[in-house]
Amino acid sequence: MKISEEILNNISSLSKIRIDEKIKPDLIKDLESILKMVEEMNKIDTSGIEPMSHPLDEADNLRKDEATDEIRRDEYQKFAPQTDDGFYLTPKVIE
Amino acid sequence: MEDLSKLSLVEQINGLKLKKFSSMELTEFYLNKIDQEKVLNSFISLNENALTEAKKSDEKIAKNKNSSLEGIPIAHKDIFCIKDQKTTCGSKMLENFISPYSSTVYEKLSNSGTVNLGKTNMDEFAMGSSNETSFFGSVLNPIDPERVPGGSSGGSASAVAANLCSFATGTDTGGSIRQPAAFCGITGIKPTYGRVSRWGMIAFASSLDQGGIFAKNALDAALALENIAGFDEKDSTSINKKVPPFFDQAKLKDKEHIVGIPKNIIEDIKDEKVKNNFYESIDILKKSGVKVKEIDLKNIQYSLPVYYVIAPAECSANLSRYDGVRFGHRCDNPKDLDDLYERSRAEGFGEEVKKRILIGTYCLSAGYYDAYYLKAQKIRNLIKQSFMDAFKEVTSIMMPTCANVSFKLNSIQNPVEMYEQDIYTIPANLAGLPAISIPSGKINKLPLGIQFIGNYLEEGNLLNLSNKFQQNSDFHNE
Repeated sequence: MKISEEILNNISSLSKIRIDEKIKPDLIKDLESILKMVEEMNKIDTSGIEPMSHPLDEADNLRKDEATDEIRRDEYQKFAPQTDDGFYLTPKVIE
Repeated sequence: MEDLSKLSLVEQINGLKLKKFSSMELTEFYLNKIDQEKVLNSFISLNENALTEAKKSDEKIAKNKNSSLEGIPIAHKDIFCIKDQKTTCGSKMLENFISPYSSTVYEKLSNSGTVNLGKTNMDEFAMGSSNETSFFGSVLNPIDPERVPGGSSGGSASAVAANLCSFATGTDTGGSIRQPAAFCGITGIKPTYGRVSRWGMIAFASSLDQGGIFAKNALDAALALENIAGFDEKDSTSINKKVPPFFDQAKLKDKEHIVGIPKNIIEDIKDEKVKNNFYESIDILKKSGVKVKEIDLKNIQYSLPVYYVIAPAECSANLSRYDGVRFGHRCDNPKDLDDLYERSRAEGFGEEVKKRILIGTYCLSAGYYDAYYLKAQKIRNLIKQSFMDAFKEVTSIMMPTCANVSFKLNSIQNPVEMYEQDIYTIPANLAGLPAISIPSGKINKLPLGIQFIGNYLEEGNLLNLSNKFQQNSDFHNE
């Protein structure tokens, strides 16, 4: 699979990671070599095989819906980059 | 005074109980050694309260109120959250992150009486096979400081091998306990997926991540593993099964083993010395009375491509939480919200992590999902099936841990070549099976490891087999 600059820009935008123009050629080379290795998968016929998303058949042990811990907002916000009066601050979203 | 750091965990427990030495003495011993071996860069942070914890343990021992691992100084991979302590996951993103809660693994070991010496270095977000992707610098292999300790749990492996702690915790998503254990000449076990709680263990690829142990030998590993395993209602993928006494199981004398040798994989080993070591290891097993049987493990060769779809896909979702808003690195002067996200993530993540997020995002994006993600999940099922077929005939499967010994720092630049480090370890993660790596000899003074893979929940069986091997060999003491 060839990774065009357009595809790279699309996945960079989807994953919210800015990519420096200077590293783009090398990055494309690396991503293409990884995908080339990944495409070895096409050598095997998987028609009729169920996809496996998880190693365990018995998963999702759900807890009872009971409150177990109080909200410790101040404690959790202590290490936030910027907060005000219990809110997380970001640059203005709506002008 | 004798070198207390060289004693095994079992010997240290006895020494403490018989008051041959105190936990304070043992802890000071290790702290001095950590200081002397700073150059290895095994630790990211040290626990300021280690001696206070040791003192408390000594008081408990004096009153005969000691827990099973009372006063034993250990180290934790810096992926396990510890309340009010720094937890960085080897990343600039979490350089200043102080966790508001503790992981279950830490809590359990703390309740067992261990003394926490500090947090060990690791590849950033556990993505790497050499410990070179850490924001806090590479870790050196204590056996040859020009070489890597393996990864991602390189700091823990290096610390145990250099006798800087009694044992250490680690995590294994595609080989991150077993490969560094092999490179550093120690024992490392990744239990069955779901055996050890993932609560408070920073997520990389949630259907593959599993916590485990680095130790000097199989008996020490069994004892340590006993203390971290078990059902945890805080982890919805935790297995609700009683934990058997692994230490007692490891010591059982009359346990029968039929070890499967996947002929197709062994024949393809490229390095003749690695191949010879593998056959020599089979001989050691046979001499210890273990039965060996050739098997065919189909489709295992697809493990690497399957893993490099599934792990990045899951990582791209898991790491979306690092957005520069609630915690972690934030860029200076963001001009709008997108700028905040995009620059914070570009600055906070290292190159390897970004590469994997991009690959994962690509494989999950519209138009590619079926060809990559769904295809990988189907082959994952076939790989699991191959193991299940094999376990109808054998009780465990033996493979090399790695295709080579430790390599020199900065010597692998190609990403795929680095990923190939894990070709023998990844299959167990895809299927969720328990696996252990133990030392099996050396090539030019550099350690090699062999790996045993067991059926679900059969950690005791693997530890028993490994103990048998270690009773008939001396590689783990070299």
